[in-house]
Amino acid sequence: MSDWTPVAVLAVALGGAGAVALLEQLVAGLRPAPAALARDAVATLRQPLRRPETYDTWLFHLAPGLLVIAAVTALATVPWAPGFRGIDFQAGVILFGGALAYVTPAVFMAGWGAGSPLAVVGGFRWLALMLAYAMPVAMVLTAVAAPAGSLRPADIVEVQHAVPMGLVQPLALGLWLPAVVAVCFLPPFDLPHAPSELGGGTFAGYRGLDAALVRLAQRVLLVAVSGMTAALFLSGWHGPLLPPALWMVVKTAGVAALILWAGRRLPRLEIDRALALAWKVANPLAIVAIVIAGGLTLGFYR
Amino acid sequence: MSDLGIALVFWPTAALMLVTGLYVFITSSMARAGLLLLASLGVEGLIFIALASEFLGFLQLLMMSGEMVIMVFFMVMFMPDPGGLMGMDMTHDKRRSAAVAAAIAVALAVVAVLTDWPARAVGNDAPDVRAIGFEVMGRSMITFLFAAMTILFAMVGGVLLAKAGGRYGIGAPRGEPRGPRSDD
Repeated sequence: MSDWTPVAVLAVALGGAGAVALLEQLVAGLRPAPAALARDAVATLRQPLRRPETYDTWLFHLAPGLLVIAAVTALATVPWAPGFRGIDFQAGVILFGGALAYVTPAVFMAGWGAGSPLAVVGGFRWLALMLAYAMPVAMVLTAVAAPAGSLRPADIVEVQHAVPMGLVQPLALGLWLPAVVAVCFLPPFDLPHAPSELGGGTFAGYRGLDAALVRLAQRVLLVAVSGMTAALFLSGWHGPLLPPALWMVVKTAGVAALILWAGRRLPRLEIDRALALAWKVANPLAIVAIVIAGGLTLGFYR
Repeated sequence: MSDLGIALVFWPTAALMLVTGLYVFITSSMARAGLLLLASLGVEGLIFIALASEFLGFLQLLMMSGEMVIMVFFMVMFMPDPGGLMGMDMTHDKRRSAAVAAAIAVALAVVAVLTDWPARAVGNDAPDVRAIGFEVMGRSMITFLFAAMTILFAMVGGVLLAKAGGRYGIGAPRGEPRGPRSDD
């Protein structure tokens, strides 16, 4: 980690968010139009902020900032190349999980602070959803850390130099993907703000800078979880011919495109079904995944 | 980090931690109280990181977020005035609780000042660190597991009792037990 690491991470965040915006248009079958996106962003930023007429307006205006901080911190732990690993901590995987954990209170704060009935409903749906889906994320993180014998993302990339973790532990990958999509409040798990059900829900009241920050945070989150999926499951920067950083970019873009495409194809889950799926299927299977990871570690990785 | 850097992070964050902790008890909104407590404990995680115990700091940030969010969820679900908008007083037995709190604060301060704290800095690979690790992950683990299961059972039991129908079973309307009535 050098003095320039924070600047580099911010550059990756802003560039990545822009790239995700273009990717959204591509996946939607539109011709990518960067100029129109920039015009939209400027128009959003020029709107005046809206102040809800409730008691907790400070929560309302604090939430987008907390979302951005959580997203950028999560992004900072992603190892992009042997020479550029963001902020490379010994317990980086825990920091990644810890950063994602702050998306939960942030979205709840947005809904509670807005004070309108649909926003509060969205906030509570979100809390219930995250209580259910945060567990698989944490358990899968331990399942991929066990074979590497390390909580450092770069070490987990190195242990996959021969076989990607996604092939060794397909169950863990299968549990991880829906759970991280839920953390990013992307469809089909966009329950807190479901445009066609709650009329925008938690984020309906946001205008101007608040709205821009929420959109930025969601895209940075998508880059962070796609990058971490590439690093933890798809052997990160390992690959033939291309330079390591380029492999990471290709894999991250692939995962992000898959998530966006699935979001367009799959119907939104009803909250009861989403919760039943998590508590009755995903969480028990996550414990199985940890047992499998333990067996693999003892049998092949020692 | 240099000593000055640590001091620059430590004192403002410690002050913020105390102020947000204090406001937890002043506000009467359950959501605000839970989020302020999260702020207080999250900032404590930042102090751990500043003091170079990164693992503890990250774990504190991760666990506290999850726990405080669960707390907000349960408090708003169970409290009659979760938003703190109806002017309900949530404190009871004020004079005696204030006396107990003051006595405990004085006792802790006395212990903190009078204890002969070790001045020796311990490195990462000191035998003490190893011993603590083996103690926590070995003999003490059964205690932690037992405490965790107790809390889990208490939570599940609390939800079951609070459900419509409560302990009288699913389908019974709230407040009207099935079977013999209490007044006959």
